[in-house]
Amino acid sequence: MNMDIDRNSTRKPQKLPKQDLAVKIFHSLNIVSLFLMITSGLQIYNANPVFGGRGGLHIPPIFTLGAWLAGGRHWHFAAMWLFSVNLFSYGMYILLTRRWQHRFVGNNDIKALQKTDNIKRLTYSWHRIVYTAIIPILLLAICTGMGMYKPAQFPWLVDIFGNWQGLRIVHFASVPLIIIFVVIHWQLGKRAGGDKLIESMFW
Amino acid sequence: MNHNQQEIERELIKVINPEVSRRQFLKTWGISGMGFFLTGCGTPALEDLVGKISEPWNQKVEQLIFQPQKPVPEFSSNQIEPKSLIINSFRGTPIIDLEKYRLIIDGQVNHPLNLNMREIQSLPYTSMIIRHVCVEGWAAIVQWGGVRLGDLIALAQPHASAKYVYFESADGYYESWDLPSVTHPQTLLAYEKNGEKLPRENGAPLRLATPVKLGYKQSKWVTRVTLTSKLTNFKGYWEDQGYEWFAGL
Repeated sequence: MNMDIDRNSTRKPQKLPKQDLAVKIFHSLNIVSLFLMITSGLQIYNANPVFGGRGGLHIPPIFTLGAWLAGGRHWHFAAMWLFSVNLFSYGMYILLTRRWQHRFVGNNDIKALQKTDNIKRLTYSWHRIVYTAIIPILLLAICTGMGMYKPAQFPWLVDIFGNWQGLRIVHFASVPLIIIFVVIHWQLGKRAGGDKLIESMFW
Repeated sequence: MNHNQQEIERELIKVINPEVSRRQFLKTWGISGMGFFLTGCGTPALEDLVGKISEPWNQKVEQLIFQPQKPVPEFSSNQIEPKSLIINSFRGTPIIDLEKYRLIIDGQVNHPLNLNMREIQSLPYTSMIIRHVCVEGWAAIVQWGGVRLGDLIALAQPHASAKYVYFESADGYYESWDLPSVTHPQTLLAYEKNGEKLPRENGAPLRLATPVKLGYKQSKWVTRVTLTSKLTNFKGYWEDQGYEWFAGL
């Protein structure tokens, strides 16, 4: 999409944005699987007597999935496959189709932030920066999750984060980060391309 | 019932809601889109169905990545976290006469054993400093000292057909493990914790201790070890409520 619009010239009719079918599927599966991971994860969190629901902030049942600890674990350890396989497949797709070159943050975005006053260009840059930045957060959630799930088979994963508490803090921090991301991502997408852009990611 | 007990019951044990049975719930809402998920939050809807699909697969993966004879890296004594080791029990603390106490090892073995504490403590002593992980999500680095369960079982000469091991405890708790995890070099019957004689609340005189399984599998107050070739429908106190059986770390 050509974003260098000269405001003084007559506007060409905007092309409806089109996204690859694969992208729509990966993106939607991300949303579903993340919803399952977070709600079941909060169910698991609620059972913790030290750094969790029984020792601190208790999450109301409306936000949890599974009803009790074993139920939360069933959902969490089922959805983790959907979440991680989908995320890695999406990543592979982005690499192999070279989508990373034109749809994710690049040097042109950083330069634009420094130089331009064009609000549309800035919005576009921020949009790409934000949805690129969430990727390491999701990967960290997976790594810390694996460390907590299998600390005996992957002890080096726990060591990277120092100790058990470090592991838990990073894992749990991904929850508010992702929730805030969803709000900002939605808003930036709307500002960058309106409802048409939002809808193009789904149908 | 005190407040803590109520907390535990709400979070760890399935409480059937008498007002809305699962059948009523499914009839009312059907299986339609996200609305179902949203109203499913906080209720038992679907969780055991999901578990039935995913847990067998997850346990296969766990058994695949488990390395039966590879020790897990240990910690140094200044890393021990004594205050972090929370004490959970499903039914209080039994009182055991240490003089009368006997450990029975039987089942699919050529030479069943009946040992008192003196005999057990005369066997080679192993000490380890490992991370204990509870399904509740907390962990603690702890020193356990005791006898290697694999060595004890070898004394009883298990049959080739033995694949599983059942554990009975003095408080009525019961567990079953796969044999490879039982014979892992860091699976002990422990009688020492953090340099001191194992306290009663932590399972004295003998408790299971290992870094390769979740805490609920590490029975306290062990009285009987039975080798079997098959698992029955009763796999363990918490397993029979819905928690996973292999529970490998």
